[in-house]
Amino acid sequence: MHLRLVSGVVASILLSAGAPFVLGDGALRLWTEALLILTMAQMWNLLAGYAGLVSFGHQVFVAAGAYALFLAAEALNVSPYWVLPLAPLAAAFLAALVALPLFRLRDAYFSIGIWVFSEIVATLVTKSSLTGATAGLPLKTSSLMDLDWFEPTLFWIASVLALAATAGLLLLMRSEFGLGIMSVRDNDVAAMSVGVDVQRNRLIVFVISAAGCGAAGAVNFLSNLYLSPASAFDVSWVVNMMFIVVIGGIGTLEGPIIGTLLFFALREIVTGQLGLSGGWYLVALGSVAVGTMLWSPRGLWPALSARWGLRFMSVERKAPRLALQDKPNND
Amino acid sequence: MVEVLNVSSLSKSFGAIKVADDLSFQLELGECLGVIGPNGAGKSTLLNLIVGLIRPDSGRIILDGSDITGLRPHLRARRGIGRAFQIPQPFPHLTVYENVLAAATFAGGMHEDAAAEAAIEVLQLTALFAKAELLAGGLPLIDRKRLEFAKALASQPRLILLDEIAAGLTEPEVARLTEVIGGVKAGYAMIWIEHIPHALRAVADRILVLDFGRKVLEGAPGEVMDSPAVRRIYMGFAADDVA
Repeated sequence: MHLRLVSGVVASILLSAGAPFVLGDGALRLWTEALLILTMAQMWNLLAGYAGLVSFGHQVFVAAGAYALFLAAEALNVSPYWVLPLAPLAAAFLAALVALPLFRLRDAYFSIGIWVFSEIVATLVTKSSLTGATAGLPLKTSSLMDLDWFEPTLFWIASVLALAATAGLLLLMRSEFGLGIMSVRDNDVAAMSVGVDVQRNRLIVFVISAAGCGAAGAVNFLSNLYLSPASAFDVSWVVNMMFIVVIGGIGTLEGPIIGTLLFFALREIVTGQLGLSGGWYLVALGSVAVGTMLWSPRGLWPALSARWGLRFMSVERKAPRLALQDKPNND
Repeated sequence: MVEVLNVSSLSKSFGAIKVADDLSFQLELGECLGVIGPNGAGKSTLLNLIVGLIRPDSGRIILDGSDITGLRPHLRARRGIGRAFQIPQPFPHLTVYENVLAAATFAGGMHEDAAAEAAIEVLQLTALFAKAELLAGGLPLIDRKRLEFAKALASQPRLILLDEIAAGLTEPEVARLTEVIGGVKAGYAMIWIEHIPHALRAVADRILVLDFGRKVLEGAPGEVMDSPAVRRIYMGFAADDVA
């Protein structure tokens, strides 16, 4: 099992290391965007698919990471790369701060509560001159970056984030902590009754999920060199995460990857190949969503893996004796 | 004998309704206390008070000599309280093995191989081993009940709380479950709420009768079941009244 994980990670690293030398500028930019969206989708998946908390407000963490990066780069007058680690920290801090009141809300109330929280933060940021108000912020220290390597560097950072999100989730869910968090998702009262600290587990997952979105959000706006509150707090961030995870397969690690590929393939085909307007792209997304929900309500990956018996990143624990019987098929 | 549980003067009201009224009793290792009483007598509430899902208004709960009255539920589970819910509460998207493994890991405080071994042992004991790899959400009722008991056992408890674990099962199923419970009884202190008299008679050492949150009677199973007070509560009249 570990051998397969390590070889998967190594193959991904080699692929992403070489990609910028093969791909054109446009393709590289597209893949960077896709990897960042994949990172966010995995983080949303961690919260909704593994911890049972459906968030409609994750755009607030995307924005928190982006604002942390832009403000810190300007204040410290250093290259934005150096302050990139502050982005996940800022998002994590915000999440930890708001977790206490939000966790008093259950199910749909949580979903709406975090959306409202996001809107409150968006309003504060839009009104405050410190954060550039409605005009937003330019990236003041962009000249400190080597612009020849700008696109490849962002692609590499995005690759690291997507890989860390996916492999990290795999390891996390296979760990004892993962067992605890999935038990909380399935039934929180029963989880307490078998000794799981429900609130603590939810808090940890919520903070990790926010941090990942903060990092990906920061890199996304770093590539724009400009940050506006309207785009940072755009609800379409969370809508895209949700679409990708739900269509691909919620509570699976392969699902968001498939969802991301489908999401960008549709966009490229509809707006690129067919040359239709953005409106038709949304129509296509909606149709695919309806079709998928009718055919396989749990998303594409569970249906595909059941049909062809595929399992790449299963987090299911095997009982020792049963695992022993399975061994010849595994490696 | 070793005292495992000591409940003293436990009271709880929801508004004007008293669901626990000055309840006191003790329980020793190897002892099974049967709890009976009409619907709404406060039987499940008593268990919720013991596991910490409900806070008492007054009174104390002492487990193995230490006061757990203020402790949160997951900490009580780790101290050694295993509970089988009246309505089975499996983790539906996890396998049967993972359900039991979670109990062994978090409440039982075991890790890696030790937790896996404990889980397997419990699965064999509760006749669930053949279904270890199935998702718990798809189990039939008898297996859900078994899984409740398996999770309680895997928690490495000192005190096991069974809430109508035999309810809804067929006679042969009740007999099998009773046999399993009777078989492990010596190693634990147990509280068993049940409406099936012969199941309780077979396993319980004492029976506690609750009505309106109050202790009406406590004593040997035969004595309690035959008492006029119990008949009056259950049937509205005692045998003597008719005669």
